[in-house]
Amino acid sequence: MSDADSPPTDAPSDDSFEPVEPNTGEEFEPVDVFPDSEDFDLRPGADSCYKCSTCDTNCPVAEVDDEFPGPKFQGPEQWRLKQTDDDHTVDDSIMDCSNCMRCDNACPSGVPLSQMHNTARGEYVSQEMSKTSVEYWRNRILSNYRTSAWLASKLPRVANFAMNFGPARWLMEKTMGVTKEREFPEFARQTFREWWASEGGAAGSRERARERRERRGDPVDADKKIAYFHGCYSNYNTPEVAKALVRVYEHFGYEIVVPDQKCSGTPMFANGMLADARRHAEVNISSMADLIEEGYDAIASCTSCSMALRQEYPELFDIEGVDDVAAHTFESVEYLRIHEDLKGAVQAAEIDDDLAEEFAYHAPCHARNQGLDRQAVELFGDLDGVGIEDVGDSCSGISGTYGWKAEKYEKSMQIGEEMFEHMEAADGEVGMTECPTCAMQMEHGTGYEIRHPMELLEAALVD
Amino acid sequence: MPSTPHVVVIGGGSTGAGIARDLSMRGVEVTLLEQGNLTHGTTGRMHGLLHSGGRYAVADQASAEECIEENRVLRDIASHCVEMTGGLFVKRPEDSEEYFQEKLAGCRECGIPAEVISAEEARSMEPHLAADIEKAITVPDGAVDPFRLVVANAASAQEHGARIETHSTVTDLLVEDEEVVGVEVEHASGPGKRVHGTEGGREEIRADYVVNATGAWAGRIGEMAGVDIEVRPSKGVMTIMNVRQVDTVINRCKPKGDADIVVPHETTAILGTTDEEVDDPEDYPEEQWEVDMMIDTLKELVPMLEKARTIRSFWGVRPLYEPPDVGSEDPTDITRDYFLLDHAERDGLDGMTSIVGGKFTTYRMMGEEISDHVCEKFGIDADCRTDEVPLPGSEEFSVLRDYMDEFGLRSPIGRRSVERLGSRAEEVLDTDEPNPVVCGCEGVTRAEVQDAIEGAGSDLNAVRIRTRASMGNCQGGFCCHRLANELSREYDEVTTRAAWDELLQERWKGQRHALWGEQLSQAMLNYAMQAATQNRDSDPADGDDIEFAAFDGGREAPDPSADEAGVATDGGEDGH
Ligand SMILES: Cc1cc2nc3c(=O)[nH]c(=O)nc-3n(C[C@H](O)[C@H](O)[C@H](O)COP(=O)(O)OP(=O)(O)OC[C@H]3O[C@@H](n4cnc5c(N)ncnc54)[C@H](O)[C@@H]3O)c2cc1C
Ligand code: SF4
Ligand code: SF4
Repeated sequence: MSDADSPPTDAPSDDSFEPVEPNTGEEFEPVDVFPDSEDFDLRPGADSCYKCSTCDTNCPVAEVDDEFPGPKFQGPEQWRLKQTDDDHTVDDSIMDCSNCMRCDNACPSGVPLSQMHNTARGEYVSQEMSKTSVEYWRNRILSNYRTSAWLASKLPRVANFAMNFGPARWLMEKTMGVTKEREFPEFARQTFREWWASEGGAAGSRERARERRERRGDPVDADKKIAYFHGCYSNYNTPEVAKALVRVYEHFGYEIVVPDQKCSGTPMFANGMLADARRHAEVNISSMADLIEEGYDAIASCTSCSMALRQEYPELFDIEGVDDVAAHTFESVEYLRIHEDLKGAVQAAEIDDDLAEEFAYHAPCHARNQGLDRQAVELFGDLDGVGIEDVGDSCSGISGTYGWKAEKYEKSMQIGEEMFEHMEAADGEVGMTECPTCAMQMEHGTGYEIRHPMELLEAALVD
Repeated sequence: MPSTPHVVVIGGGSTGAGIARDLSMRGVEVTLLEQGNLTHGTTGRMHGLLHSGGRYAVADQASAEECIEENRVLRDIASHCVEMTGGLFVKRPEDSEEYFQEKLAGCRECGIPAEVISAEEARSMEPHLAADIEKAITVPDGAVDPFRLVVANAASAQEHGARIETHSTVTDLLVEDEEVVGVEVEHASGPGKRVHGTEGGREEIRADYVVNATGAWAGRIGEMAGVDIEVRPSKGVMTIMNVRQVDTVINRCKPKGDADIVVPHETTAILGTTDEEVDDPEDYPEEQWEVDMMIDTLKELVPMLEKARTIRSFWGVRPLYEPPDVGSEDPTDITRDYFLLDHAERDGLDGMTSIVGGKFTTYRMMGEEISDHVCEKFGIDADCRTDEVPLPGSEEFSVLRDYMDEFGLRSPIGRRSVERLGSRAEEVLDTDEPNPVVCGCEGVTRAEVQDAIEGAGSDLNAVRIRTRASMGNCQGGFCCHRLANELSREYDEVTTRAAWDELLQERWKGQRHALWGEQLSQAMLNYAMQAATQNRDSDPADGDDIEFAAFDGGREAPDPSADEAGVATDGGEDGH
């Protein structure tokens, strides 16, 4: 159920985002023989590869895992070899790809690598992975984080204790292959959605936004409205990020709706659970598409969520409205940088409370894919009272569920090594990133507290 | 007359290799002589269609019947060279309904299983067929790999005691008293497997009988003994796509025409072809418009071809023959049937028969007929068994399929390797040594390359045709040097360099007609990489430069390194 009830107004901005131009071959419109099939034609993608291996040299997993053949093989090469025979199967190494999507960005030739990997992984899981194997169920549980989180949020205190209870964790590693090295994230006592309802939901937001507009000298009826895709993590674990977003956007006079939503699908793509991902995507697209028609833009505070809505959905699912949603989805800082004088506002502000820190900023791989890897540094470089330092372009190594798997844990930490070192070398002792799982890894590797840019914006701009 | 006659077979194409196998299986002592690699001639430049006979079912029913018969035989004895893709004759709205009905009736008259299917059914089999097609006829067309098949025939002949000499040109026939009694041969390197740099030499080989299976070159051999053989070489172009746009053979259902067929072949799809008479089977123009026409015409059947990547184009010459009294104007009217010319009966010259015309699909039948003929001459009473004894690699293939994953290879690489090696897979792939992938595009591992080197000597083009290494989308950009490296385990530097040069040269030339879009990017990358990291543009330690400039001038460009039979198969006039 969506709480959006405003009448339709002007169409929102048309600044659509094009990460690469993946050569998905949709223009050839092969006959839709199997209307339910999720097969996009990957021939043009395979044609685009000229074997330069740039993707391989940019793959963080290939760097630490000698057994992993790398994106060139997983994508165009395997696809081309496999097409000769229906009996051909996807190699099991596809499960070692963390879906960080750095290869997508690296390819100079527009090969839709992550689309090829996601497709192959989906095929592998549905056709070759035993549905009774521990690995399948472990992956399924990890990728359906939303379900576990929902359960835990019913009894957050018990969950927080139980999930990090030593013997229980030992058992989880032994029986399920979930590493005991990591701390489970804490569950908030009050979810963001509970808080949002208590604040009056959409109606409350409209009122506050109008008030703000008046104070700012904007037209009271200004067409400023967003649909917030908070994702699971900021709902169950870090509602402070979601609350910060609400306050910052309302500060600029935006009215917010928080539509019905499910998991963005990011962990499911990474585990080849395409059927699960599709089910969730259908809900997300349907509620977002309706709002977009009414003039809303979709805003995510998690860069993997915005990536899913923008790129993975249209690459993998042929759902009505999917392209509109992709074209109208933005990351939270990005959107304000486009539509507001965010830089001016930040330059005029000053931080003197407990966030007056030196931040070690890590750009998530998925932010990089959307061209957002410098936004926080460019923005906060001008903010009085804080410092911010980019810790470089390495991958954090956790890639969502990847680093949670017992057999991947060591590799995940090896990939993260460079980032940890750079964080230690940076001035401050507080980290910053847009991605909740990168944040987990940063904290795990350095012990630093990790903040989201929205939190700093809130501290700077909202009184 | 000696108890075991010695027969020299000239020509290492499908016909010659098929004859060599058949004769040696019947206990005859055979020497096969080929001026280049096996498949150096037309066989290495054909379309790869295992005819169902459908294409000839209206105009040339005798050929059609032979095709369907041999199609069934080859599925059995050459299973590791054949992929039964099935085929379609597709009718577009502007194509004649009358001809469609004739085609259907013709197929049935010739015993070719044929069914009419609707446009929807056709498009559910092949989603990339044009939306406006009307209907189609299904036939049992297939795809066949000529390289593998000829190599397997030669290997089988060798197992039965035959001597196989490649890079050995017949320069003269020895004629005594109106009888051919042997041949004079020029070996490019020593006898046996080819080794670069080995001293070649001239050899006189005496024979009890000579079979001329030199296809489009048959007339030249005839001249050596003063007999006339009226082969009418006719060229055709084929363009290789990077991926398969279709998994079924797609024919246009039209009386005749250029550019009317797409054959899915291994990892690629091959478009073809044209039919144009030429004077010289080794020197004919290769023109860009021929390639353009392939794509422009065939996109009417498969629209996505227009924007798809091509990796290479090549030309071949058909060794068409018609008895002198027929005199067809148009080469497409010349029969595809084969003819056995006994020069004793025909020209009063004993000791030699030529076999001309025919098709790849009927190579075995041609071999059988000429072997019957030779055996009869020598009073040998042995039955032909080539229709029932599988080729090396095709034995009990189905059993092996189940064990595919056992060689420690990544799934698609293991599968492709087994598809190529057939029943030899275990023997070749089961190794204790590290077995890295040498050619990524085609998924060829070191073990398979080493096996090919064992069979082919220091000739990397011969390794190429055995394994498909360097035949994928980068056209050897990333594996030629690795192949050379594999060679260097056995051979010295000079030999390795010579073989490497030759392979690179051959790979470059065939891409000339595909250099736009993605393949142009590929060529630029290959060039930059090979020039910058391997000194391939001008290597001070190396005599011959790679002829990168050959692209610019196309066929007019001078060809300084034209050493006769060095560079093999696809690549047409410049490729020899
Ligand atoms: C464009 C095209 C497409 C075709 N497509 C198909 C198809 O899809 N399916 C099909 O069934 N058929 C096809 N054919 C026909 C088929 O390729 C040929 O009929 C068949 O390959 C002929 O084989 P061959 O052994 O007779 O001739 P070749 O393969 O030409 O063999 C003759 C050999 O003799 C050697 N030689 C010549 N002179 C000498 C000498 N002096 N000394 C030593 N050796 C010598 C040559 O180097 C050559 O290797 C096609 C032909 C063409 C041109
Ligand atoms: S998504 Fe990341 S881990 Fe997977 S192949 Fe690409 S670069 Fe490597
Ligand atoms: S970067 Fe792109 S073009 Fe280069 S090898 Fe990888 S997929 Fe192919």
